[in-house]
Amino acid sequence: MEGLRWRSILAALGVAAAIVWVLPNVINFGEKAWWPSKQKLNYGLDIQGGLHLVMGVDVDGVVSESTNRLITSMKADMQKENVAFKDVKSANPNLGELTIDVNDAAGKAAVEKFLSEKYSTVLQVMNSTDTSITTRYFDAYLNDYKNRVIQQAIETIRNRIDEFGVAEPSISQQGSNRILIQLPGMADAEKAKQLINTTAKLDFMIVSNEKSQQELQAMIADAEKAGNYNMTTMKYSDYVTKLNADLAAKLPEKSVIYFEKSANATTMEAGAIPFLLKTDTDLGGNALDDAFVGYDQYGAPQVSLHFNSAGATKFADLTGNNVNRQMAIVLDKVVKSAPSIRDRIAGGQAVITLGGGRDRNGMMDEAKMISTALRAGALPASLEQLEERRVGPTLGADAIDKAKLGSYVGAAIIVIFMLVYYRAMGVVASVALGVNILSLFALMTSMGFTLTLPGIAGIALTVGFAVDANVLINERIKEELRLGHGITVAVKEGYHRAMSAIIDANVTTAATAVVLLYFGTGPVRGFAVTLLIGIVTSMFANVFVSKVIVDLLVHKFKVKKLAV
Amino acid sequence: MTIKNDSFGRFDFVGKAWLFGGISLFLTIASLIYLAVNGINYGIDFKGGTEIQVKFAQAVTIEDLRKSIDDLKLGEVGVQSFGEGNEYIVRFQGRTGKTDKETNEILNADLTQIRGVITTKFASAEPDIRRVDTVGPQVGAELKRNGLLAVFYCLLVILIYVALRFDYKFAPGAVLCLFHDAVITLAVFVAVGKEVNVAILAAIMTLIGFSLNDTIVVFDRIREIEGHHHEKGFGFVINRSINEMLVRTLITSGTTFISAICLYVFADGTVEDIAFAMCVGIFFGTYSSIYVAAPLVLLMEKLNLKKARA
Repeated sequence: MEGLRWRSILAALGVAAAIVWVLPNVINFGEKAWWPSKQKLNYGLDIQGGLHLVMGVDVDGVVSESTNRLITSMKADMQKENVAFKDVKSANPNLGELTIDVNDAAGKAAVEKFLSEKYSTVLQVMNSTDTSITTRYFDAYLNDYKNRVIQQAIETIRNRIDEFGVAEPSISQQGSNRILIQLPGMADAEKAKQLINTTAKLDFMIVSNEKSQQELQAMIADAEKAGNYNMTTMKYSDYVTKLNADLAAKLPEKSVIYFEKSANATTMEAGAIPFLLKTDTDLGGNALDDAFVGYDQYGAPQVSLHFNSAGATKFADLTGNNVNRQMAIVLDKVVKSAPSIRDRIAGGQAVITLGGGRDRNGMMDEAKMISTALRAGALPASLEQLEERRVGPTLGADAIDKAKLGSYVGAAIIVIFMLVYYRAMGVVASVALGVNILSLFALMTSMGFTLTLPGIAGIALTVGFAVDANVLINERIKEELRLGHGITVAVKEGYHRAMSAIIDANVTTAATAVVLLYFGTGPVRGFAVTLLIGIVTSMFANVFVSKVIVDLLVHKFKVKKLAV
Repeated sequence: MTIKNDSFGRFDFVGKAWLFGGISLFLTIASLIYLAVNGINYGIDFKGGTEIQVKFAQAVTIEDLRKSIDDLKLGEVGVQSFGEGNEYIVRFQGRTGKTDKETNEILNADLTQIRGVITTKFASAEPDIRRVDTVGPQVGAELKRNGLLAVFYCLLVILIYVALRFDYKFAPGAVLCLFHDAVITLAVFVAVGKEVNVAILAAIMTLIGFSLNDTIVVFDRIREIEGHHHEKGFGFVINRSINEMLVRTLITSGTTFISAICLYVFADGTVEDIAFAMCVGIFFGTYSSIYVAAPLVLLMEKLNLKKARA
């Protein structure tokens, strides 16, 4: 039999690899064990319990608001630069479309010049008449903008969920305007929902230098000791409120302590840097028009801020009065960044330059993070809850136990049947079934797929169906034996001729599974994934491994008769 | 079972094709009429709404629970006992607002109210809210659309695959057969009063794949022996192929049925419903691949010959 040695080695290696991957699910090796794989199978929320939320993001609303702000600032700019115009209005603010009415041809020329000088990267002229010019956002700009809206909503939600210390939150974009949030094992789902649903609050606050870092740290440590609490035992927002209440008498007037997460810390609790901030600045998200990542003359990333006209005045005063001090950007009571003020900044445009001495990617990430935080406070996208699924931990545990029991009983009956009906070949089929299930779990574990309840149904069905390849093969071997062929020929022909039916059968099942994967959501995808993997592993186990076993029996151990 | 070389085997399937064809046609039409008249009982996945599963540690009667929730006047609320002991499922659709957004908000507010009643009014019975599912109208509509698209694409892919891999005369038989299985299974599912949700749709789709699998194996055999027995006619070839594959079909369907029925008996909730759909589907899928699919190929072949003669 050609290449039997190599095929045996390959089959053995495959089975060994499967065992390597599956075992950590059964035995706890600990972090430092010599065992090569530490991965465990992911359980879906329907099994381990948790909260699954789908939030709709009002992207159009944010674009509308941005267009309206653009109109206001454009009017102000044109007045300042003495460009004559009648009115600026928008028929479709959610497309970023706006129309500028002018008095005459001269006025039109002036407005066109103004637009090309100030807004050439943002607005394109759609059409113009003698008395009006219609412009709208460039498509690329609009798409990029919408994408940023989603990203900032995701960032905001992530910040809030961090507060709960959920082990593995998953927050991802779904479609063009949805966010899928999955919080495994959430006990306090109601609170999480509330937090996610509140709008982000942005504040600009001046950093007070009345207390040094050391003094602050000491005060906080004292308060924590006196009240017997710390950041790890409470939610961040509650912690900050309590801490400030406890320290109210010791702190200078009109100031609070908020924290920044240090750059390389994974959680707030691990690396919280306290800041003493003055509360009398009164400059918040409503002062800001937009914020985005820009580049300085050397191409280094920086954050550009555009204030609206009311905000510009306040910002000019604030920066003028606090030159050489730090201004903290605070989102939801968390200090995101605290750049130093170098000069009075008038005109409503400011940039935040990032500290040098780091790689470009790091600076880029920071610039993105700050601008996202700024926009989240300036133009918060309203979120709408579209779907909520919540499973208590006990229900999932009950459900999986029962489904497991059902699967075991089913598998046991099938094995008994195969042994009785096919005898020797039934043993081979049962071994193949075992290898099949083992490799299925190994693949699921190693590829990081999630096992859901419908997924368990999928596995149980795979088990029932897995024997199909062996049934086809065995029936074929029987036919060949009946025709008077010897065992060697019968086995060879049996495997060979059953292949076309096996492949056709698997391809069609795979096709439905792929369609399910594409159109399905959540648990249903889990079902489709297990079906697909089941097909792959059954080819390995029931065709390849079982052939190796039979070939070994026939060729190596010279078995003359195989009961089929 | 021995098959002599010159006979098609033990059972004459093709001879009874008209009888079983008639039964299948009748069942399919009856199912379609039943589904059309009775309507499909969609779960909240598709129609939107809320489902709360709650278990009480102390005895609570279904009447008490229903009355307390009815007192909130949130429109029609269904309370159903679940499993054994004091476990209930509370279902409500929520009133419809002027816009989807409004409906959504009403839905979320209602949910909060019902949770409130369960946790405060029945506090002494130690309620454990085990599961909450809320699906807003937008998502429901989208899931439904995706579900229908999935079925459509699935059938399309199968049609193309069968036509390419075998012959176009096989394709309509396979697809009609799948349609037959899916419709009858759906009708049985609805008739026993179960709700159709995303997981059930997935089960029915898998069933389509499974049933096709059975059919394909027979087709594969037809293709294999078609040349050898040309002189005896296509009916003979079909009969012989079905007979030869009969043991395999019954064993594979049998083992899969065993898996499904064990799940049905032991598991509950979603898994139980999926298993139920699979049990029914495997039964009809096996029947149809024996009695319906191959005879349909014969019909196609006859139509073909007629056309060729004309």
